[in-house]
Amino acid sequence: MAYQLYRNTTLGNSLQESLDELIQTQQITPQLALQVLLQFDKAINTALANRVRNRVNFRGSLNTYRFCDNVWTFVLNDVEFREVTELVKVDKVKIVACDGKSRNYK
Amino acid sequence: NEKKEKNKNLAQKWLMQAQVSPQYTHKHSHGGVPEIQYFGASALHTKISRYWSDIPTDQYESLKTQLFSQIACFSSGSKMVLTRLCVALASLALNTMPEAWPGAVAEMVRVFQEEGGGVDGRARCLALLELLTVLPEEFQTSRLPQYRKGQVRGALGREWGSVCPLLQQLLRRTDSPGAVKARVLRCLSSWVLLDVPLSESESLVHDCFSALPDPELFDTAVEAIVNAISQPDSQRYVNTLLKLVPQVLALQEQLREAVQNGDMETCHGICRIAVTLGENHSRTLLEQVDHWQSFLALVNMIMFCTGIPGHYPVNETTSSLTLTFWYTLQDEIMSFESDKQAVYLQVYRPVYFQLVDVLLHKAQFPSDQEYASWSSDEKEQFRIYRVDISDTLMYVYEMLGAELLSNLYDKLGRLLTNAEQPTSWQHTEALLYGFQSIAETIDVNYSDVIPGLIGLIPRISINNVQLADTVMFTIGALAEWLADHPVMLSSVLPLVLQALGNPDLSVSSVSTLKKICRECKYDLPPYATNIVAVSQEVLIKQIHKTSQCMWLMQALGFLLSALPVEDILRNLHSLITPYIQQLEKLADETPNPSNKLAIIHILGLLSNLFTTLDISKQDDESADGSAPPVKTAPPPPGPNPVVVVLQQVFALIQTVLSKWLNDSQVVEAVCAIFEKSVKTLLHDFAPMVSQLSEMLGQMYSTIPQASALDLTRQMVHIFASETDHFPPIKALFELVTSVTLSIFQQGRGNILCLMPLSSLDVKAVFHCGVLSLKFPEAPTVKSTCLFFGIGGGASRSLMDQFAEVLFSLNKHCFSLLAVWLKEALQPPGFPSSRVTIEQKDNFSHQILRERVNKRRVKDIVKEFTLLCRGLHGTEYAAEY
Repeated sequence: MAYQLYRNTTLGNSLQESLDELIQTQQITPQLALQVLLQFDKAINTALANRVRNRVNFRGSLNTYRFCDNVWTFVLNDVEFREVTELVKVDKVKIVACDGKSRNYK
Repeated sequence: NEKKEKNKNLAQKWLMQAQVSPQYTHKHSHGGVPEIQYFGASALHTKISRYWSDIPTDQYESLKTQLFSQIACFSSGSKMVLTRLCVALASLALNTMPEAWPGAVAEMVRVFQEEGGGVDGRARCLALLELLTVLPEEFQTSRLPQYRKGQVRGALGREWGSVCPLLQQLLRRTDSPGAVKARVLRCLSSWVLLDVPLSESESLVHDCFSALPDPELFDTAVEAIVNAISQPDSQRYVNTLLKLVPQVLALQEQLREAVQNGDMETCHGICRIAVTLGENHSRTLLEQVDHWQSFLALVNMIMFCTGIPGHYPVNETTSSLTLTFWYTLQDEIMSFESDKQAVYLQVYRPVYFQLVDVLLHKAQFPSDQEYASWSSDEKEQFRIYRVDISDTLMYVYEMLGAELLSNLYDKLGRLLTNAEQPTSWQHTEALLYGFQSIAETIDVNYSDVIPGLIGLIPRISINNVQLADTVMFTIGALAEWLADHPVMLSSVLPLVLQALGNPDLSVSSVSTLKKICRECKYDLPPYATNIVAVSQEVLIKQIHKTSQCMWLMQALGFLLSALPVEDILRNLHSLITPYIQQLEKLADETPNPSNKLAIIHILGLLSNLFTTLDISKQDDESADGSAPPVKTAPPPPGPNPVVVVLQQVFALIQTVLSKWLNDSQVVEAVCAIFEKSVKTLLHDFAPMVSQLSEMLGQMYSTIPQASALDLTRQMVHIFASETDHFPPIKALFELVTSVTLSIFQQGRGNILCLMPLSSLDVKAVFHCGVLSLKFPEAPTVKSTCLFFGIGGGASRSLMDQFAEVLFSLNKHCFSLLAVWLKEALQPPGFPSSRVTIEQKDNFSHQILRERVNKRRVKDIVKEFTLLCRGLHGTEYAAEY
């Protein structure tokens, strides 16, 4: 099983919205929707691991850090994200990170 | 064949049904089709592992015996069936050890070592090894309850005492066939996952090293060693680890041979072993001060792997394995307290300087002919590899500091001033790349090397695209530094502007110009005319692709922001006029695919320009007071130049819109101009509010589109608290809401229509609602929207926001909320046909009752929304 971390992203939420819609119009069952979500988990984990090439630098002040159940959570303030094409400044950012090398995905 | 298929399907169906019934016993035919036999074995396994409680205790022994005999039967039969049977027996063992089956493993070993049964020794041996291999694997994936897991793990750990000697014996015998030894190694790999103490496996691991020279066993031996050393538990066994270091060092001979023979697999494997040992146990080994030399030797071995001859990824794929080791080692050294650290740094600083040299060498491009022969995939992998090197250098800078920069600078200087020896561009480029990697992310302000570096740049004969790109990116990386040393701009800007005219350097030159314009805008006015002129020229000549054109406009936006208002207007006019003229012509034509592209392009250029043209921003980075006073001047009086331009082109845009109302992409492009402008201008946008609201209203009533809604939302957000400008926006909002509602009331509507509502910012909705409380119709409209959303009209991800609105309403206008709840939920089938009257009443009561706990309100809304959507109780929505 792959991390379910990415369900709460724009892509993941859009997928869930679409699935909800299809369930409501009774075009699919909730069980099928669940299977689709599980497939989404697999696909997005693989894609992010193998197909992403961009590099973003970021700098900020660390407000809090937490490591629990093999998941890191950071909250940073006054962060600057620099990419080739863009610079984004934000007051607060929360980073949730799961072990990319772990064999036993949750 | 068809009949066979049919029979197979029938059998599968029967077995499927039988699989979960309590009466099922392990009857599957012997001598049948392997697939069915496999299915039978699989069914058995499922039964044992998942429905163990269905099996009566008095059947354990017979089940066990049967499995043993079946395994013996299949030991020379189909491998996949054999494995399944082994897994089944393993599962049985896990369920019964140690109480019901003490000494399970010892018994397994004994049973298979017994001669006879018509099965040859070798097959028995392999079957036993298969069984022993799957036992720990099955444990890892089993669904035993937690307390059982602990017990069984302990029991298995104790059984290692029976397994280890067997494995060792088989591995050491010279007459053991390769296949057996390979299985032994796989078995070891499996057992080390159980955290069996490394000290107990010590001699077995040493035997693995002895297996490495055998090509047949190399891969499995590497795997076994790597698995054994990477277990976190292994760090406790310091002596064992120390004894491994010489074993690893002894592999250098084999490694060198492999390099000479171009044997990438062997290099890879040996490197993996060295890196695994170094990475996982750097701290432990570093702290064994008596053995510092042997650890240093290991580090140097890894350095050899980092610098392995040849180009990644074409000639070698080993060097990349070592990069994370260097991070780890650095982290360990830097974590020591300063006294201890100083001692280690004496030894390791030179090592890291050497690493930098190695990495820069590996980052060099190959010869032009060779590079041209690479596939695009190889080129891409090489690009990523260079980025990884860049990351490593960036990290190493943390340890080596300013000395690293001066070291690089010296090298570059010598390279460029040495007239005697011709330098390859690859060499120069790699050094510059090193600079670029470091400059981007650290505070180079205090480095005295940068002025020299910038001075050297014009000396570089840029005769190659990659080199030119790197020069550009290096300049771009120094943009922040240039902002504090603007006098150096005159050395670098000409290079950038020249590069703008070269389509091969499109990405690097435009992104660099953008960075400079963004960071140094207040120092660029003297160069502004020139920059604008060059930009205009390259835009007209169509040298750059769409994205880069857009970046270029963004760069110009930054540039113009720092000019006096009259200059801005003048430059804007000269810049945009050709496009306005083009747009006028296009607006007259009948819509077709080619003029659509042209229109969207022009609109895009304008949006991007307005995204960054911001005259109100003060220079944040001059906070240290070193900037001249002009930077902190207040924004100039009079209308914003962007507004001036927008008003001038407004009529034209309306014309375009009227012709292209049906095309969502053109509409989106039009809305984007205003959206970007509004975001940048904020309250300065005020003069445009009425015109825009009217235009949007007309647009939306004719053809509702998501982009119009997004823009409406922006405006509500920004102007909600300004009583002067709010009325037209309020009118727009009410129009938009009623249009949207009528779409839904006409029937289900299609998916496209559902989207706009879900993008509505409900806080803004609430804001509107509160402001328009005096109008009797308005609140009902708003509340209907709200409940419609909860009923399924809006995305589930927004429910928390809806809940917050309800919670606020409950707090501030309780009586009104009570009325709205009753009125809105009264019509049958609203907000969903799936909820009963009781459920609706229950929902109302719960909401009204909960005036303190916001979390509780969110839960109530969540539950109700799932009921409305028919998702209540499904696994799909379980974690919602």
